[in-house]
Amino acid sequence: MTKKNRFPDVVFIGQPNCGKSTLFNAIAGLKADTSNFPGTSVKHTHSKVNIEGSIVNIIDLPGTYSLNPSDPAEKVALSHLFHEKPDLIVNVVDASILGRSLELTLELMELDYPMIIALNMIDLAKKKGVEIDVKKMEELLGVPVIPTIATRGQGIKEMLEAALQTLGKRPSVTPIKWSRDVEQRVEELANLLPEDIPPVYNKRFTAIHMIEANRLFFDKVLREINPKLKEDLDRVRHELEEMHNAPAYEVISAERHHLALKIFEESSRVFRGKRVKFQDRLDDVIMHPFFGYVILLAVFFGFFLIIFKIGNPLEELLLEPLTSLRNFLMLKLGANVFSYLIDGLLAGIGGGVAIVLPYFVPLILLMSFLEDVGYLARAGFLMDTFMHKIGLHGKSVSPFILGFGCNVPAIVSTRILESRRDRIITSLLIPFIPCSARTTIILALVAFYLGPIWAFGFYTFNILLIAILGRVISLFFRTPSPGLILEIPSLKMPSLKNMLKKTIFQMKSFIKFAWPILIAGSIVLGFLQYLHFDRFINLVLSPLVEKGLGLPQELGVTLVFGFLRKELSLIMMLQALGVNYKDLMTSGFHRIHQLFRSLCVHSGPPLERDGEKNSLTLCRIEYGRGGDLEFDCPLDFRKVTRGFTLFLPKPPWLRRIPQGEIGRHGLPRTSLCP
Amino acid sequence: MINLLQALPDVPLRIVGIHGGHGIRRRLIAMGFHKGDTIELDSMGIFRGPVLVRNLTSDTSVALGRGIAQRIIVEIIDEKK
Repeated sequence: MTKKNRFPDVVFIGQPNCGKSTLFNAIAGLKADTSNFPGTSVKHTHSKVNIEGSIVNIIDLPGTYSLNPSDPAEKVALSHLFHEKPDLIVNVVDASILGRSLELTLELMELDYPMIIALNMIDLAKKKGVEIDVKKMEELLGVPVIPTIATRGQGIKEMLEAALQTLGKRPSVTPIKWSRDVEQRVEELANLLPEDIPPVYNKRFTAIHMIEANRLFFDKVLREINPKLKEDLDRVRHELEEMHNAPAYEVISAERHHLALKIFEESSRVFRGKRVKFQDRLDDVIMHPFFGYVILLAVFFGFFLIIFKIGNPLEELLLEPLTSLRNFLMLKLGANVFSYLIDGLLAGIGGGVAIVLPYFVPLILLMSFLEDVGYLARAGFLMDTFMHKIGLHGKSVSPFILGFGCNVPAIVSTRILESRRDRIITSLLIPFIPCSARTTIILALVAFYLGPIWAFGFYTFNILLIAILGRVISLFFRTPSPGLILEIPSLKMPSLKNMLKKTIFQMKSFIKFAWPILIAGSIVLGFLQYLHFDRFINLVLSPLVEKGLGLPQELGVTLVFGFLRKELSLIMMLQALGVNYKDLMTSGFHRIHQLFRSLCVHSGPPLERDGEKNSLTLCRIEYGRGGDLEFDCPLDFRKVTRGFTLFLPKPPWLRRIPQGEIGRHGLPRTSLCP
Repeated sequence: MINLLQALPDVPLRIVGIHGGHGIRRRLIAMGFHKGDTIELDSMGIFRGPVLVRNLTSDTSVALGRGIAQRIIVEIIDEKK
């Protein structure tokens, strides 16, 4: 077999939340996104690493409970395993739930392929009172087992050495045989496989998966291609079902289950520790029917308060010198092309430093804390009831919360949802979640001037809006949601190193991708302003911008750029309006409105890709019309998709600023009220 | 034999069977809910919210929607035996 690349492929595979991505990160640096929530990596991540002189291509696959996929993320893992045969499998096993994790290990062993086991989270297992005899486990499985603690980087060197050794020798793994009656049937079917059906990995594996296969689909295909084999398969299944009084696939998984439990019992001793009791008690409070929600609210409120408390003073501190520098340069250089370009450059750099970083960094850091502790899954449990009200269930909470970071990966992460219906609804709603860019605006503008309570109120309103939309969208889907099945991982003490790594990783991507665009866009805008070309674009776009959206004409250019990159909008608005940052506040809600729109377009392409082909993906929900300056935007939310209309009353708590008060904020009326 | 929703919290239960379609059965099996496993109802969400089930055999916790929980048929383990 010829390989596309000449470096050996090493895949990391394991059940969700077993620490694959953390392990992968520890080896490859900052590549995969990790968290204490099942299903963080929904796409696979590649990285080339140099292990003592040999270059190896390592691949982090999404977590999968078994080799019979039930959600698209698991399918990613399997399609990789089956199509691009790796050279070595590293099975990452959560030692703290060894009994269940071994079921996947046994299934992987059926592949009859070079493999090693990274026995991860042994520290957690010890805390739980589980002591594992690694030698014994190796003996029972016949596979090298290397204990690791990925969060602390322990055992990684040993694991890589074992990987290299196994890669060199390529010993095959011998699958452990099951009870005789089941094994006989499997063997019989394997022998009956005709030559023209190419086996996947080996005949036994193929036979097992034929028995386990989803009948509706697979059987129909098989009946068409090989009716004889279909008959044999039916007979074998029937015999298994007769003997065990259960569907054939359950017979097979029960075999693995019992074998896994047996190996677990033989290789480990279990003591009940005191710490577990403490954790259980903590969990009882966190998921308490009353206190759980109090904590949930407190967590989110505290979340905003902390970001506000950090971001606000920092922003002021960073913005002051920049504004004076820009003013100074403008005066010094006069109005020529140079000064416009430099002003654009400074606005771009300063925008990144002073507006995004003070809010962005704490936001990401706190978010990764919540993720790593394992609070997100618990929030999913608590929110499930309310998610049902909008036609979804608790598992969608994780993509939603990811959406607070950035909408695009959040839409990709809807792959962890099993049902197509849930995937579509969730990915349609995600563009309405205030992502970190929009949160920055809300925090920077709303919280800065009106206080954190207002920002919180705006958030609440946003969530309410999502709820209403969800309700409406789910009307289109008659089939009910299948319901929640969500694993609750044990609470973990997050490692600061891991959190910082993740934050730096996110920051790096901001600095690498968003910031240069931001700076470049800002310079281009400065140049356009110098040429007065922006006025032309604005004029052309004015029917749309002014009449359609009720925004000031000056924002035409900004809007065009905003479509391309959402982070750009804020900086560009500063320039387009030619106003001081402070003055922006009075029309802050306009900005948010506009960002809502630009983001909707921004998230468009992945939505169409991931939400699968669906006419609903074309839907664009528009907020507000009318030409009034203040606060008119998200509230007169009228035009919705597909010909049905929603009329929402304006909530009384949102006050329209009377014309007279506008001046107090120092807003240059001429530039905003055409 | 009762379904999981009819059980009292913190009482050890044994899974007798799972009703429902292949999709749900496969999912539950893959997440470690096998016939014969010992499970316990940990807590229940408010307003017909999900239930939190602890699987004592595999030492995992899973949140299940009520619709799914009521398809899991269990029997109470008599500790005296």
